[in-house]
Amino acid sequence: MSGFSSLNTATTALWAAQRGMDVTGQNIANVNTDGYSRQRVDLQAMGGTAVPAIHSVSNGSDGGVAVEGVRRVRDAFLEARGHLETANTARLTAESAALGQVEENFREPGRSGIQSMLTDVWSAFSDLTTNPLKLAPRSQVIERLDTLAAGLHTTRAALDQQWDQTRDGLAVLAADVSTAAVSIADLNNSIRLATLSGLPVNELADRRDSLVSRLAEAVGATAVPRADGVVDVTIGGTTLVSGTHAIGVRLAGSDNPDGVGTDAPRLVTDPGGTTLRAGGTAGGQITALTSIVPGYRTQLDALARSLAGSLNAAHTAGFDATGAPGGPLFDDGSGTDPVDLSAVTAANLTLRVTDPARVAAAGISPAATGGTPSADARNADALFRLSLDPAGTDALYRKLVVSLGVESSVATRNLEVQSVLSAQVDAARESVSGVNLDEEMTNMMAFQHAYNAAARMITTIDEALDTLISRTGLVGR
Amino acid sequence: MRITQRAVTQTALQGLNRNLADLGKLQQQLTSGKVVSKPSDSPSGVNRAMQVRQDQAAAVQHARNISDAQGWMDFTDTTLQSMVTQVNRVRDLTVQASNSGVLSDSGKVAISTEVAALRESLLGLANQSVDGRPLFGGITSGATAYDATGVYNGVGGAYGVPVVGVARRIADAEDVRIDVTGPEAFGDPSGTDLFALVGKIATDVAAAPEALGDDLAALDVALERLLTAVSSIGARAARVEIAAQTNTDLQLSLSKQLALVEDVDLPKTIMQLQFQQTGYQAALQATAQVIQPSLVDFLR
Repeated sequence: MSGFSSLNTATTALWAAQRGMDVTGQNIANVNTDGYSRQRVDLQAMGGTAVPAIHSVSNGSDGGVAVEGVRRVRDAFLEARGHLETANTARLTAESAALGQVEENFREPGRSGIQSMLTDVWSAFSDLTTNPLKLAPRSQVIERLDTLAAGLHTTRAALDQQWDQTRDGLAVLAADVSTAAVSIADLNNSIRLATLSGLPVNELADRRDSLVSRLAEAVGATAVPRADGVVDVTIGGTTLVSGTHAIGVRLAGSDNPDGVGTDAPRLVTDPGGTTLRAGGTAGGQITALTSIVPGYRTQLDALARSLAGSLNAAHTAGFDATGAPGGPLFDDGSGTDPVDLSAVTAANLTLRVTDPARVAAAGISPAATGGTPSADARNADALFRLSLDPAGTDALYRKLVVSLGVESSVATRNLEVQSVLSAQVDAARESVSGVNLDEEMTNMMAFQHAYNAAARMITTIDEALDTLISRTGLVGR
Repeated sequence: MRITQRAVTQTALQGLNRNLADLGKLQQQLTSGKVVSKPSDSPSGVNRAMQVRQDQAAAVQHARNISDAQGWMDFTDTTLQSMVTQVNRVRDLTVQASNSGVLSDSGKVAISTEVAALRESLLGLANQSVDGRPLFGGITSGATAYDATGVYNGVGGAYGVPVVGVARRIADAEDVRIDVTGPEAFGDPSGTDLFALVGKIATDVAAAPEALGDDLAALDVALERLLTAVSSIGARAARVEIAAQTNTDLQLSLSKQLALVEDVDLPKTIMQLQFQQTGYQAALQATAQVIQPSLVDFLR
């Protein structure tokens, strides 16, 4: 123990306090940075001999303070939980948004939806009942049937467009994921090298973890920590980033909604082609591509088929203004006879009867009324009565809209619940890793005082040495 | 739990967003006047609304059909009533002519001429049409029920063709026949119908007064048939009248139902909006006060 060693002790205290203030400054600077984890200085008292021996003794007051390291304060369990919840929220958001868009495509309830077009058609048939000989109500029937077919085309086209847009979005997302995976692998490499050479890696690790969070949100990726500070990233069990190596992701599968059944759109590794069990936004979009949009598309096609089937059947039972038996009203646009109902979809539903005189309003054949076409309108009434069929097209359509409403409202509610859950986990993460300004201010003061005290220590020892050097040994001078 | 400034900010922001979203929803309901604007707002409500809308459209259509039926039947009734008057006149003249002793030849000719004229008039009435369709022609697509000589050229009720009624749908489950065919009202054209009978009377007055007794009996049968047609039309008109009343009630009740499902309850929604606004303002105030201070303000 000597005066000089006390100076050393004071110096280490100065360094430690300075480092403490540095870290506090860094924390305050990043108070609003996304993905930043607050840092703490780990201090350790020095001194004491590791191996006590008779000739190597320490009086215990020799030493000082050492900065053991600067630690990121974070909870790995909460991070993993956070990734999981973020992925779920993103998946539900994508699904709920897809259902919301489908709802918009159907434009119900209102005056521009298919329901109102159907109602117009039934009214036209009833009007035809009161005036089967006039051209006007016959033309009205033709026009309204045509409007209905056009309405079905529009809705179907809107669904197809939604499908295409979602697929494009997913392709872009896959490219983003590939880029992020490469970045993570690069950062892993830097972190490993820096760790091996004992350099600080906190900021690099923060950047990498924020990329992992982004991957969690995009494809439901999870991170597995490895030695030397690197993490592996997996998607549904398939490794995307392994240490310093990354593989890409690409979108595979049909680029046409008709091909969903045989070649469903999916994310695969590139190279490799292994199908990924993607979650997150990608998972939601894949659900939209493989089940939500194609599901309502199929239901709409079934509706068109039911409409064509029931109207054709009723129409062929009647006789038109020229006395000829009525032909099919709708077909699939190919003009084949008889109409191949299984080929009819909402996209190709075509009105075959375009001549108003060919609308079969009469229910009684000319042969039964003396050879001339009659003014009977029983068949027009029969066509109107299709609207009263409890299992008819209207009921089918209502069922479709209601099931869409239920599915969409359930998705919205699930999303709300999930958002609350996600917010709680985020808050918990923030509570561990976030920067609290009050705390930083307090720490700053503590380190400032420590610095001041250490400086005073040096002054004191300086004065003591000065006394020793300048004032002693002057006796007799 | 450790709380950080950022956590407070985020929580505050979330709360404010939720408040504002609720406000926006109420605002949208008030401005559109509708509670349900998309199926997910209330799936069962949308189902009901769609059903009621369709029922409403059908009711409006039925109302149109009813007024059409009423017009047609009123006209048929008026026409038949005038025909009854004229047939009564024919009967009077026939009775007068059968008293052969008091009538001079010129008197017989006058009666014969008048009866012949009445036959023309009756034929004219029998050819009355609504909107181009003869009232008594059944489902004929032609413009007349009887030709100039009195031959029935309507469709239904004669010459082996069964009667096919002209009907109007006056409710979802009810349609009513609105016409009477010529053969039903005036007798079978292949035998001696009303017009043939009146024609025969016109000739018999001058040529065969002894046959007038039989003619008179036949005329009574024809008159009876005519009156049956009038009462039948009257009964059906009464049915349509009731349907019209029911239809009006139904339309009212449907509008009410639709309003219940779809429309905004104004007082309730406005109250909710007020509550929500108060809540939002309180949230803003609280946020402003909580976010502002930190230890920085108090340390020198």
